[in-house]
Amino acid sequence: MSFFDPLVLLLALAGLYMAWNIGANDLANAMGTSVGSGALSIKQVIIIAAVFEFAGAVLFGKKVTSTIAKGIVPIDSISLIDPHLVAVGMLAAILAAGFWITLATFYNLPVSTTHSIVGAVLGFGLIATYNGIIGFEEIKWNVLAKIVGSWLVSPLLGALLAYVIFSLIRYFILQKAEETYTVEKKFVFLQIITACYIAFAHGSNDVANAIGPLYAGLHSLEMVGINIPLWVMALGGIGMVIGLATWGYRVIETIGTRITELTPTRGFSAEFATASVVVLHSYSSLPISTTHTLVGSVIGVGLAGGLAAVDLSVIGKIVVSWVITVPVAALTSALIFVGLLGVGI
Amino acid sequence: MKKREYIRSVLNIFGSSPFKPLVMHANKGGDCARKLNESLLAFCDGDMDKVEGLSREIDVIEHEADVIKQTIRSELSSSIMLPVNADDLLNFLKPQDSISDDTQEVAFWLTLRKFEATPEIRKGFIELMEKTLQTVEMYEALVSTLGELLGSSFSKRDVEDTLQFVTKVEEMEHQVDIIEKKLTRTIFNNEDVIGALGVYHLSRVVRGIGDIADRSEHAADRLRTMVLRR
Repeated sequence: MSFFDPLVLLLALAGLYMAWNIGANDLANAMGTSVGSGALSIKQVIIIAAVFEFAGAVLFGKKVTSTIAKGIVPIDSISLIDPHLVAVGMLAAILAAGFWITLATFYNLPVSTTHSIVGAVLGFGLIATYNGIIGFEEIKWNVLAKIVGSWLVSPLLGALLAYVIFSLIRYFILQKAEETYTVEKKFVFLQIITACYIAFAHGSNDVANAIGPLYAGLHSLEMVGINIPLWVMALGGIGMVIGLATWGYRVIETIGTRITELTPTRGFSAEFATASVVVLHSYSSLPISTTHTLVGSVIGVGLAGGLAAVDLSVIGKIVVSWVITVPVAALTSALIFVGLLGVGI
Repeated sequence: MKKREYIRSVLNIFGSSPFKPLVMHANKGGDCARKLNESLLAFCDGDMDKVEGLSREIDVIEHEADVIKQTIRSELSSSIMLPVNADDLLNFLKPQDSISDDTQEVAFWLTLRKFEATPEIRKGFIELMEKTLQTVEMYEALVSTLGELLGSSFSKRDVEDTLQFVTKVEEMEHQVDIIEKKLTRTIFNNEDVIGALGVYHLSRVVRGIGDIADRSEHAADRLRTMVLRR
C-alpha cells in the first residue's frame, strides 16, 4: 500500500495531532517546573526538551509503544482476518483519544493522554469482540489490569520517592546549611540535569500514546515490519517537539510564572522522582501518565514539609478523570470505528 | 464567561500560600502601631486635629488588615495541605488581627478628650507607647522569620532563631506591663489635677495600649505552638 493512500495519511496525521497535543501540554507540564524555580529560561527548556524527548522516544520508547499497539488487543489475530479493520480501528482510536484530550484541555481537566489512548484501543478491541472477529477472552485482560494497576501505583510511587528524596535533602543539606539561598543556588544546576532526565523519561513513555496505534495500523497494512522502525518513533518524537515549540512554551510560561513555590530543591525532588518512576515503567513496558506521576511527586514533597500550600482537591479530580476517561474513550473509539466503516473508509 | 485557554496544567496542585499574606497582615498591625505612636505624641501635644486624622488613617489600615485576614481564611479550605497545622495557623492569626483592632480602638479613644495632665503622666505615656511599639515591631520581625523557616523547611537552627524572637517579644511585653501598672498608679494619684473623668479616660487609654502589647505576646505564643507542633 502506498504512503499516499488516504487511510495511511489520515493515520499519520492523527498520530501527529496526538503527538502535538502531548508535546503541547504534558511535556510542557513536566518541563514547566524547571522554569518555575528559575533553573532554566523558556528557550533553554525547549532546546533541552527537544533533544531529550526525542532521544527518549527513539531510544527507549519501543517497549511501551509495543504494549499499546498489540499488548492489549490481539491486533495480529484481527489482521489475519482483515488488516483493513485494524487500520481503521487504530485511526478511530487515535481520533477518539485526540477528541477527548482536546475537550479535556479546553476545560483544564487533569485527563491523561495515556488513559485516553488505552481506553480508545480497548474500545476497538471490544467492538471487534462484539462483531465476533475475536473472542472476548482474546483481549489481554491481565495486561490491561497491570496497566490500570500501574496508574494507581505510579503516582503513589512518585509521592513516596519524592518524599524520601526531599527528606534526605532537607535532613542532610538544608538543615545543615548556613543559608538556604546558597543551597538553592547549587540545586539550580542539578535541576538542569533533572530537566533532561524528565524529558527523556516523558519521551520514552508518552511517545507510545501517539505512535502505538499508528504503528499497529501501519503494521497491519504491511508497511512496516515486526520491529518498530526508527522513522515511526522519530515521527512521534518530532510531533511532540513541534507541540512543545508551537504551543507548549505558552503552557510553560503560564506554569513557570505561577509556580514560585517550587524552589530548586523542591523542583529537583519532584522531577527526579517523576522521571525515575516513568523510566521504570517504560522499562517495564507499562504506559503511565507522566502528569499524574508529577502530581503525586509534588504531593510527596508537600508531605515532607517542603511546600507552603498543596491543594489536595486535585486528587479527587484525577480520580474522577481516571474513572471517566477509559469508558468514554472506549465508547467514542467504537462509535468512530463504526462510523468510519459506515462511510466506507 | 471565563476565557478558556488550551492548557492542561499541574498548577491546581499548588494552593495559594497563606504565609506571605500572614507577614503582610502582621505588617499592617505594625503600621497601625506606628501611626498610633504618632497619634499619641500629637495627643500629648494637644494637636487634636492630627489625632483625628491619624485615627481615620488607622481605620483604613485596620480594614486592609481585615481584608487580608479574610482572604487567608477563605483560601484555607480543608483540602489545602500546609507544612503546619492549619488550626494552629488560624489560632495565631486571630490574636495577630487583634493588634490592629486594639490599635484602632485606642486611636478612637484618643480623639474623645483633650489631654490635660502632668508632665510626669505625659512622660509615662510616651514611654509606654514606645515600649509597646517596640514589642509590636519585634513581633513583626518574628513573623518575618517564617519565610526563612519555610525555605529551610523548618531547620532546627531556624526554629531556634524564631523561638528566640518569641522570647524577646515576651520579655518586652513584660516590661510594658510594668510601665502600664506604674502609669496607671500615677494617673490615679493625680485625680485632683485631672479629675475623675480624666482618670477614667487616661486609664482606659493606658489599658488599651497595654492590650496591644498583650496581643503581640499572645500571637507570638501561638506562633511558637504552631512552629513546635508541626
